[in-house]
Parts: sequence; C-alpha cells; structure tokens
Amino acid sequence: MNETMDISIDFSRLKLANPVFTASGTCGYAEELADFMDVNQLGGFITKSVTVKPRMGNDTPRVVETDSGMLNAIGLANLGLEAFIQEKLPAISKLTVPVFVNVAGETIEDYVAVAQRLATEQAIAGFELNISCPNVAKGGLSFGTDPAQVTEITSAVKQAAGDKILMVKLSPCVTDISVIARAAVEAGADVLSLVNTFTAMVIDIESRKPVLANRTGGLSGPAIKPIAVYMVNKVFNEVTKERGIPILGLGGIRTASDAVEFIIAGATAVAIGTANFVEPNCAVKIIEGIKKYCDGKEIKNIRELIGSLE
Amino acid sequence: MTEETFKSNRGVFDAVVFANKQIRQRFYRLGLEFSGDGAAAFAQTRPGQFAEIDLSDVKLPPKEEIAEDLQDSAERKVLLRRPFSFCDVISQRGKTRVEILYCALGPATLRMTTLSAGNSVSVIGPLGNGFQMPADKKTALLVSGGMGAGPLIHLAKAITTEYPQVEVTAFAGAKTKTELPFEKPLDEISRQLGFALHEFAMYAVESQLATDDGSIGYKGFVTDCFSQWLGQQRSLSANDTIIYSCGPEAMLARIAKIAEDKKIDCQVSMERMMACGIGVCQSCAIKCRVEGSDEMVYKLCCKDGPVFDSREVVF
Repeated sequence: MNETMDISIDFSRLKLANPVFTASGTCGYAEELADFMDVNQLGGFITKSVTVKPRMGNDTPRVVETDSGMLNAIGLANLGLEAFIQEKLPAISKLTVPVFVNVAGETIEDYVAVAQRLATEQAIAGFELNISCPNVAKGGLSFGTDPAQVTEITSAVKQAAGDKILMVKLSPCVTDISVIARAAVEAGADVLSLVNTFTAMVIDIESRKPVLANRTGGLSGPAIKPIAVYMVNKVFNEVTKERGIPILGLGGIRTASDAVEFIIAGATAVAIGTANFVEPNCAVKIIEGIKKYCDGKEIKNIRELIGSLE
Repeated sequence: MTEETFKSNRGVFDAVVFANKQIRQRFYRLGLEFSGDGAAAFAQTRPGQFAEIDLSDVKLPPKEEIAEDLQDSAERKVLLRRPFSFCDVISQRGKTRVEILYCALGPATLRMTTLSAGNSVSVIGPLGNGFQMPADKKTALLVSGGMGAGPLIHLAKAITTEYPQVEVTAFAGAKTKTELPFEKPLDEISRQLGFALHEFAMYAVESQLATDDGSIGYKGFVTDCFSQWLGQQRSLSANDTIIYSCGPEAMLARIAKIAEDKKIDCQVSMERMMACGIGVCQSCAIKCRVEGSDEMVYKLCCKDGPVFDSREVVF
C-alpha cells in the first residue's frame, strides 16, 4: 500500500490532512488523551463544550449502556470560558491539528459571548455550535429544533466568530433535518455536523424509574449509525451539495468501513465519538483503514468518494 | 512513586488469562498476565487503582448454564469496557500478574466467566488513584461490603509488606453467607482466634465477618459490627488510625459518619457507571465538598478517585 497516500480534504477554508475528527465530549480538551493517541494525527479535533459560566452537569447516573449503544446525560459539565482559556488553551495552542471549540449556552448571548471571546485566539480554527444537546433544561436542543431560532443563533454567532470557521451541529430529533440544515446554511454556517444524539430513555423495571438521573439521555453508538448515514445523505442531496458546504458526518462510527459509508453518503469528513471510549486510539486506526480502502479501490483522491452514492 | 509516574505509564495493553476460578456461586477470581510494556505499567499498580477491560467479544456461557434471573440481561450486547480493581498484583521476571475478584451479574461479567487460560483481553490501565498508604499511622482498619473486598485484600498485602509496623484488621460483610466473595470462610476455631478469612489471614491480618441474616459471623451490617468493635478499643488513638472502606455507597456513607464522629482519617473507594475510565466522558461524577467553603463540585470517580477522603464526599 502507498503509505503516503493523500487523503487530505478541503474543509471550508481549511485543508485537512485527513477526514477524521474526534467528536465533542468524547475526547475532553485533548490533553486527557495524550497517553493513548497522538492527537496531531487527526484531521481535526473538537473540544468538549465550553459555556460562558462553569457548569457542574447533571446528577448521576449520567450514562447507561444499551444494545449496541449508550445513553448519556452529562448536562454540558465544563469548566467555563475563563478557565478554558487559562487552563486548557495553552496546551491546545501547541497542537498542530486544527481545533474546533464546541460552544454551548442557555441564551443566544451566551453563545455569542464564547465565540466573541475566542474569535481572536490563534490556536482555534473554528467553532462547533452545539444547538442539539438533549440533556439541558435551557438552550441546547430547544434552539436546534426550530428553524427560526437556528437562523437567529447561527447569524449572531457567525458575526461574533470573525474569520473562524463556523460549524453547526444538528440534532436528529426533528421531523425534517433538511429544514434545519437549510436554515443554518442560509444564516452563514460554513460546515454542518450531523448527527448529535437521539433523545432516549432506559427504564429500570424493578424500580419503574428511568435509569438516568436526568430521566432521558442522548443515544449514541453503533445503534444510531444507519439513521445517521441516511440523514447525512438526505442533507447532502437536499441542502449542501449545490452550495458546496461540507458535512462532518457522525453517529456510531467505529471502523473505517463505517467512516467510508458516511463519506459515500455525502460527508466530507467524519467524527468518532462513542468508539473513543472503548478504544481511545481508534480514530488513528480508522485513518489507516480509510487509506487502505482507497488504495484497494484505486481511489486517487478521497474527494472522488464524497457523495458518490449510486 | 509519584502520581505523575503512574499516569505516564498507563496505556492499552493485551493481557493473557492464566486462571479464571469460580470461588463460590457467582463469584470468580480472574488472573491476567501482562508482558513487556504492560508488565511494566501494571507492576506499579497501587491498591484501589483499576483497569477497563474489553469483554465485548468474549462468548457467553451456554444458555442452560446461565441463571434464570440473568437470562434477559445476558441477551444484551456489550459495547463499553468494564472497570475492575485488583485483589492482587505480582510482578516478577518481566511479567506482571494481576487478579480480579468479580461477580457474574450482567452481560459483561457473565462473558468474563468463559475466559480460560491462554485467552487474550484488551486492558486499559492502570487507572485512577489508589489508597493513600498509612505512613504515619499505627493502625489500619479495612471495612468491605460485598465485592468491595477485592481492593482491600490488595491493600492488606501492600500495608503488611511496605509498612509492617502498622497493625491491620479487616471487616467483611455481605447480605448472606453465600454472597461473601471469599473462597471459604475459615473454620470456627480460626474465627474465634480472629482470623475469619483466609484471604486476609495469609497476610497475618485478623478479620471478622458480618452477614445481614447472620448466616455466618456477626448478625447485622458490617458497619454495626465495625462500630461495636471500634467502641471496645479503649487504647486506639484516633490520630494514629486510618479507616479504608470499599462497598455499596450507603455503607460507605455510614463508615464516613463513624470516622467523622471518632475523628479518624478515612478513605473510601467509590463506584459510578463509567463509559471511558480515563477522564473524558464525565459520566462518573462524584459530588464533593470544597475545603473551607460551602461550595460543591463534581469530581470524577475515574480520574480524581476512585479513592477519596471520606470528608470530601457528599453522600
């Protein structure tokens, strides 16, 4: 195999070495993974959510395993904007991989404040706007399910983000994801990432109570992959293809074959989430696997593969 | 050995099973052997630290061998790794052998029972912070509930080897005799001599048993058994004593209260549902006090624990 095979991609205004990211919330702020993987081998890195103020997160249990998946209801636990800048940004600025900061909040002003404050930071390539977290009482998913609010929040953050790339992360918990995708793109999103988790519940039949303290959580893992692939393909065909907007596809990817499926469906790049919990180095293995696939199929440029669904 | 040194040694390693023995009913003892870098990393494991084991590809026992109450949960596929602490760690001639006490009670641990010598499993570790050793203490009191006995057996060995001047006494409790995770309690005569359990007696550590139903040992909670014993120790100096505990959270809360009342230092090993074990998923939050304020913070069981100072934890 040609070890130096080029699987680099154009990702909005960036050129990435390969199409593999790690998903927000599954890799902390990069330093946590240092013993397990070389983060700089990734195409891109997305941080755990950052909110204006620190957030403690939900009570426990915050996770429960399901068949081929898991539910989480962390509740956007994070150290807050100022501590992020003081404690995490110095290490992040030493990385060579493009880093996106996942931004969350309860109000549009919250999102704008984080983006504005970080817009001048050289260490950051862009933002991932989290309007699809199912586990918080205010903000989160409530923004991401209403096209009018998606328009409003996307254009507000776009203005605050300066020349940083703005990625908007979509929820699958909507009747028609293309409607939301269109609203985000028309309001200035440079990239769409999809999908976030599916709102779900696991019940303890002994106590007749939900297992999670938050009652509901977001379903992720292999269980959601076929739905995510379908949604990526739908948004690609109906919204992003004609506009040349890249999609970051995610939802249950754990092998290179899974990643290739998303790319064929229309994703320019993919993000690995839940699988990182099982195999912290799996993104690097997936990068190698994608190269092998391209080599085997005599694909000279991975761009040929994007949206190549027959 | 500093904490930093441990952390830089952790990683993902393959281990080879050297034993998997059913010790009674649902309780088993699994032995794993590491070579190379894994041996070096796990040689430094401190009592109370843990590892995340991938059991997703391990086969289930035959259906007829699975207890009726576990048939449904056995059907579930395993995705995430499972955290286990150790009851023994031995390192020699470039190999490290670790032993895990476990109870088959769900889809992952049922699979674990089918592992046999020569099988290989993927292990992430060693993870978390173990028990702080009783360097400036004269007495160490170990109190376990159910499966909490595992890391305390490891701790008994470490203290008696590294701090022979410290007197160690262990207390182990369970609902009933058959739910004690020990090979077999020693006979009546040994018990009367203060050595109820072989697992502790092998380190010359005295031990007492308690069962909720009184089927063996003290009748009642191990916390009551311990509290009564503590009340009888007239010569015990609180300053020179430390309590180590591992078990169900309600039990740890009770031990923490006893320790607080008696002004004895106390370390508790906590448990939470975890996804990653390495501090990224934020699942295993433990509500903790901030010293000198009314503020509460969530710490992570996997990264900041699993062992905490009992005064810190908000039970």
